[in-house]
Amino acid sequence: MRKVLFYVPLLAFLALALFLLSGLFSDPRERESASLNKALPNFALADLMQPNTIWTPEKLKGEVFLLNVWGTWCPTCNAELGYLSELRQQGVKIVGLYYELPRDPAFDPPFDLAVLQQEVQQKLQQQGDPYQFNMLDLTRSVSLDLGVSGAPETFIVDADGIVRAHHIGDINPAVWRSKLAPLYQQWSSQ
Amino acid sequence: MKALLAVLLLCAGLFSSVPWAEEVLQFDNDAQRDLYQQLTAELRCPQCQNQNIADSHAVVAVDMREKTYQLIREGKDRQQVLDYMINRYGDFVHYLPPVNRYTLWLWLLPLLMLLGLIAVGVFRRAQQSKQVPQDIAGNTAAELDQLIARYRSKK
Repeated sequence: MRKVLFYVPLLAFLALALFLLSGLFSDPRERESASLNKALPNFALADLMQPNTIWTPEKLKGEVFLLNVWGTWCPTCNAELGYLSELRQQGVKIVGLYYELPRDPAFDPPFDLAVLQQEVQQKLQQQGDPYQFNMLDLTRSVSLDLGVSGAPETFIVDADGIVRAHHIGDINPAVWRSKLAPLYQQWSSQ
Repeated sequence: MKALLAVLLLCAGLFSSVPWAEEVLQFDNDAQRDLYQQLTAELRCPQCQNQNIADSHAVVAVDMREKTYQLIREGKDRQQVLDYMINRYGDFVHYLPPVNRYTLWLWLLPLLMLLGLIAVGVFRRAQQSKQVPQDIAGNTAAELDQLIARYRSKK
């Protein structure tokens, strides 16, 4: 009994040390998204390039696709455009949700769609264009409904318009292979 | 020297007035304003870890503040606003976590540790009180005399 008790503090210390050690390698940003397994929120967003086209969740149904939240102002989003373009060539359907930054009326010029279109076009020519089309989320209200915390973020949406994966951060070959590709294939084959 | 001081003061004035000119929000009554302040302090920014949305300048925090304001102006109560945010950003977004099977340990563990300590204390007390009378009973007067005699003889 005495001998066993003698080792208790050591064991307790080891358990605590292991617990804290595992914390060193965990990602504090990783958490289960609240939008998983829910239908896309209701929206009616204008197409970025053809503002007369209005996209609704209903129109997006029928095929599994990636919903990629991005903006030309976001360096990480620009960095992933190349790889996303490769995925498009492999047959992955990618829809862009353009995350426009808020404007400070005191310092920024008013929003100008033509300027933004030009910026986007230029960026996509430089880096590659992975998108079937882009929807403009000017007030970021759809992003808020989707639980987007910033850009880039990517959702896998199934053929019924239900969110099946939510990835925060960029998509690179490693992330695609280990995390998103299996889910994409799983929901594509159903 | 005076000129330098004047320049410094001028600079200080410049810097204090320019950044973060916060928008002035209009509320119907003080209760709404209090609720807004309480909620923005309690809601956690999903982008910048360990900041509430009142403190954060992240885009998403600005949007959440705006939404909170909008919902309060629409007459939504505290729980409705919280539900709206938790529905979109998960339990993470509120600084007061709900009690569920994962978070139950936060409340249970300190209690269990306290109970454990009390149990150990009671156990040791019981052991001690058991030992003392035994020792006295074992060492009879004769034995004690023997011991005293032995020590004396050593002198």
